[in-house]
This record gives sequence, C-alpha cells and structure tokens, in this order.
Amino acid sequence: MLKVSELRKEFANVVAVDGVSFEVQRGEVFGLLGPNGAGKTTTIRIVLNILQPDGGEITYDGARFSEAVRNIVGYLPEERGLYRKQKLFDTILYFAELRGMHLGTARGEASKWLERFDLLAYKSARVEELSKGNQQKVQFIISIIHDPALVILDEPFTGLDPVNQILLKDILLELRQRGKAIIFSTHQMDQAERLSDTLCLINKGRVVLGGAVRDVKKRYGKNSIHLEFSGDGSFMKDLPGVRRADVYRNSAELELSDHVRAQELLMQVTSKVELRKFELVEPSLQSIFIDVVGVPETRAHDAPLAVTKSGVAS
Amino acid sequence: MKKALAVARWEYIQKLRTKAFLISLFVMPVIIVAFGVLPSIFATQEDKETRVIGVIDMTGVIAKPLADRLEARYRLSTGQPNYLVMTLGTGNTIDLDRTIADANAKVLRDEIEGFCIISSDVMSDSVIEYRSKNVGDFRITNRIEENLTDILSERKLTLRGLDPGLIHELMVPLNLKTVKLSKSGETEEGGFVKVWFTAYIFLMMLLFLIQTSGQLLVRGFIEEKSNRIVEVLVSSCRPVDMMVGKVVGLSALGLTQLGFWGLIGVAISVIMGVPGVPAEQALLQLVYFVLGYLLYAAIFVAAGSPLTTEQEAQQVTSYLMLILIIPLVIALPAMQNPNAVWLKILTYIPLLTPAMMAVRIPIQTPPLWEIMITVIIMLASIYAAMWAAGRIFRIGILATGKRPSIGEVMRWARTG
Repeated sequence: MLKVSELRKEFANVVAVDGVSFEVQRGEVFGLLGPNGAGKTTTIRIVLNILQPDGGEITYDGARFSEAVRNIVGYLPEERGLYRKQKLFDTILYFAELRGMHLGTARGEASKWLERFDLLAYKSARVEELSKGNQQKVQFIISIIHDPALVILDEPFTGLDPVNQILLKDILLELRQRGKAIIFSTHQMDQAERLSDTLCLINKGRVVLGGAVRDVKKRYGKNSIHLEFSGDGSFMKDLPGVRRADVYRNSAELELSDHVRAQELLMQVTSKVELRKFELVEPSLQSIFIDVVGVPETRAHDAPLAVTKSGVAS
Repeated sequence: MKKALAVARWEYIQKLRTKAFLISLFVMPVIIVAFGVLPSIFATQEDKETRVIGVIDMTGVIAKPLADRLEARYRLSTGQPNYLVMTLGTGNTIDLDRTIADANAKVLRDEIEGFCIISSDVMSDSVIEYRSKNVGDFRITNRIEENLTDILSERKLTLRGLDPGLIHELMVPLNLKTVKLSKSGETEEGGFVKVWFTAYIFLMMLLFLIQTSGQLLVRGFIEEKSNRIVEVLVSSCRPVDMMVGKVVGLSALGLTQLGFWGLIGVAISVIMGVPGVPAEQALLQLVYFVLGYLLYAAIFVAAGSPLTTEQEAQQVTSYLMLILIIPLVIALPAMQNPNAVWLKILTYIPLLTPAMMAVRIPIQTPPLWEIMITVIIMLASIYAAMWAAGRIFRIGILATGKRPSIGEVMRWARTG
C-alpha cells in the first residue's frame, strides 16, 4: 500500500528525517515508534503531503502522490483540536466533504459512527461542550469516516478511558480485518506490542529497528527474565550480570548479560525477596525500545523509573 | 474546485454565525445614522411650543416692531405664534443693571428663552446683545438677527427721509442654488453636504467591510493553527483550494453585509424622503468595492497566515487598517479640490484606489479612461498579490511557534 524509501527532510540546521525507509501492507497495523523528537511526526507529515521531502520517494500502491491520494488517507494528528464553536455533526460532514465524500453518504456514515461511539445525543451540540475524550472520539471518526485505505493515527489512545481504549482497539482490528493499512505512532510500548503486526523504531531521524514484531523479539532472544515478588526489589538493578533492569513495585524485567545464567540470578534474588514467579521470556518491546534508543547518560540511574511512571500512567 | 467550494461554504456559514459579524452588520448602519442623519433631524425639527423672548429696549422704539414681526412671521404647526416677545424694560431711564439681573434670573428659571439688550447707541454702533442659556440655537439667533437688521435699516432710512419700503425693493435676497453637473449633461441638485455624506458612507463601509472580514480571516488562521486542524485540512485538500475557498467564502460574506447595508440605506432614503445614490454610481462603487476587497483579502492571507498568536493578529490587522485610514483623512480636502493632481496620483496606488474612488465618485464621476486604467491596475495587483499570498500561505499556514521574520516570508513568496 505505502512504500517509503530513503526519505530525508531538513529543517534549518537539523536533519529531522535521515534516510527513512519502510513499507506498509494492506491489512496490517504498522507501529511507528520512537522517542520524542525522533522524526515520527515529520515522517507522517511527509507521507500525508503536508510537508515536502528534501529527498527520497513515497509511493501509494506503486504510484506517486496525486490529488486522488488525499481521498484515501485518514489522519488523526497528535495535537487534537476541532472548530470549537461549531456543531459536531456539521464539523464531521465538512471534513468528510473535504475528503471527497458525498454529503448524503457522509450523513449516514457520520450517524453510524456517532452511534457506535455513543455520541449521537451530542449530534447538534457545539464541539466545545464536549469533554476532551469525546472530542477525541469525534476526531477519530473524522479520520476514518471516508473509509480510507491508509489510516494514520498519531497517539490515538492517549486521553481515552479504558472502555473507550478497548472500543478503539476493536475498531482498529476491524479496519485491519477489512484490509486497511494502519500506521499508528505511539510512545506506549505495551500498546504497540499488543496491536502492531510490524514495527519501525525511529531514533534521531533514522530507522534503528524494523520488521515484524515477532521477528524483532526473536532477534533479541530469550535473555530476559520476568519476576514477580513481594519485598524491596530496588537492589536488582545493581546485581552483577544484569545489563538492564526495569523494576516495578511487585514485578521486574531483567535483561541479563550474555555470560550470566538465569540459575545464578535466581539464587541471588530468592535470598532477598519472596519470589512468586520467575520466568525466562522474550524481551518486551519496552525493553527493546530502551535498549535500542539508549538512556541519556545524565539520567541513566533513574531512567527505568521514569519509564515505569509513563507506563503506569497510560 | 469542489473542495474549494466546500471550504467557501463552510467559511461563509461559520463566519455568518459569529458574534463579530452580526455586530458589524448592525453597528455600521447605527454609526452612520447616529453620526450623519440624527443631528440633521434634530436640527431641522420645528418647535413644539411657543418660546418667549425678552427685550430690554433703551431706545424705546425697537421692541414693538420686533414683537410685531416675530409674532406675525413665525407660526407653530398648530397655528400659534412661535415666538412671544416680552418687553422687560423700555426707555433710557430704566435701571439697566437691575433689569438685566432680573432678566438673567428669568432665563435661568426658564421663564424666557433669552433676551436682547438694545442700548441707546444701537443706531450708531449696531451692536445688540442676546443672552440665552443656549446661544448655539442658530435658528432663533438667525431669526432675531434678521428681523433686527430689517428694523434698524428701516429706521435709518426713515431718519434720512427715505421711504422704508425702498429697502424691500433695493435689497435682493440671494438664494445660491447649487447644481451638480454630471458628464451626461444631466443636472442634479444636491449640496456639498450630500456629496460629502455619500463619500463618507462609502468610505466607512469599505473600511468596515475590510476590517471585519480581514479580522475574521486572520482569526480563522490562528484557530486552525493553534489546534492543528490545519494539518487535517492541508492533507485533505490543496492549499490553493483552501485559500480560494476562504477568500470566496469571505467575499460572499462581504457581499451579504453590503446587501444588507444597501437595503437599510434604501429603506432610510425612502422613509426620510432623501434622494438615494444613482444606480450608476452605486454600481461603480460596487466594482471598486469587490476589487478592493479581493486585494485586501490577498494581503490579509499573506500577512495573516504566518502568524501564530491572537496578539500578533491584532497588530497586523491594525497596521493594515492604517493604510485604509489615509483616504478618510484626505477625503475633505479631496472634496474641496477634486481635480487636484495629487488626488489623481493617489488613485493609481492599488492599495488606495478603492477608497480614493469611493471619495471621488460621488464628487465627480471620473472619466472612463481613468476607470479602465485603475480597474486594470487593480486586477493586475490582485493577481500578483494572490499569487504571492498563495505561496506564502502554503508554508505560512504550517508555521507554528516563533513568528517568521518579514525576510523569511518574502523568501517564501519568491521561492514558494
């Protein structure tokens, strides 16, 4: 569906995107991951023809960008916003029309989606009267109402309550079922891990990791240990042979150095905490992410905790 | 093009519903009526009841004829005399200071409208004092002055042994009738005031129109940018569709506004019996309005799309409005000397053309060649401005954070 090759974009003196290539197939959820400022959003904007690349090529079903492409893409930007003073239904219809939809069709589709998101009662309300979460649902409807072949969602889950997160996830999987290509960009690794078929990890404008999620995890091998325990686990990150530790209150994920055997570690741990679970696992996407992207030197010590917080907050 | 129309319709309906637009729709006519029509209505309003005017006459011979004349000449609509003259003192033996003090008190108690003090020297120095709380009432002072002049003149003639009736034969009251000639040879009566007023109304309408829609346009940019709607818009349709849609939508809005004001104008002129503006003139004005509107729209797009905050928007729109105020300032001298060369030169500066024409057309319809040249200049400038605005818009609409410098914006216009 979408093929991006050797994409390059410079701003002032910064290279925002530096030779990024990837492919997204129909019927696939493609996770575009990376730390803040990695170049994800710039890449997305170029794919949407909002920005012009300085180099590289993008093809949509083998063809270069044309006006027709505008009608087969849907986009949910990370920073949300709608015309605050306007009525919900009118706003949806306007954006649908701009994607080339007929007004009649758009009316039917809009009602259908509003009903699915339990927003039909707000049909004639002004956008500003809605809660943040509801506004976000409206914006999601706008990004898919015209049944686009390529859906690009920037952080679609943030700001939604768990019930709506599940609803959104179900809809995404339906879209995948119906053969749509879905790109979704996120910092939330657990979400990416559960939803993506393929992933592309960008850091400092370059692709640092890519491929089917299964393959990526396999490549990282089974040198991680998942622990569940009670007691103070803070000592774990200082254990010899532990390359990286991601310690939570009652669980931890430890990545071992190559020469260390799990058996040795088990003995060291049992003496200090009451162990409930000890499992040799594939590394989570989160560990891979941190491993690949690296932790800035100055914050090396508290970085795992910071990640923990954002992980819990999601 | 279909998408540009969708944008136009959206902009039109969305802006039509804003408070700013509704207010401008009604405020403008109210301002015009308040500043233009009301004072003249009040000024020409007839008195409803008889007014009493006092006279202190030290000559003893003027009070009586003044009373006769004032009471006989001016009538209220009910048939009652408009003025009654009350003699407060007569002859040169009265205590002048006390009489004046009494009269002053009467005026302050509103028993009399005012009073004249006719001194015994009046036949030599022709000075008469009129005291009132309201000396700005020109009608009453004019009438007193006119009648006193007649009485004094008659008395002087009589004293020289001439027939006072002679004065009516010799004095020719002049009535200067102004007739405005238009090129087709038709004559049209109408004074300076009417021309001045028409020019001002057109100028004000142009100013108001450009200001409201300019602000709406720039506000729209800011909103779309601040909440990132613009990313969805620019990925849905070409920037040029967006720009054309916005300009067309706002122009439709401007025409709605004009149409509404026009209706009010026609209604007022019909109700008040004031002659309206000739259709040919109105049509010509409309042409310049539309041209001016489009030029300013392009400028607002170019200047407004790179902005990111409401404050910047306000600054830029007020700078742009300054250009439009220039014609307002020079409107009066222009009317006094409509053939001045500098006036003609200013007419050829595209930014000023519509406003200068708004002033010039009511005074004197410019010759056809001038109209054609200015229209061509306007069309060329609109084309150039739209072209540059389109290039700036494409980049500017995506600019966030720091406001780009003028140099940067110029570079966008050059390189697109």
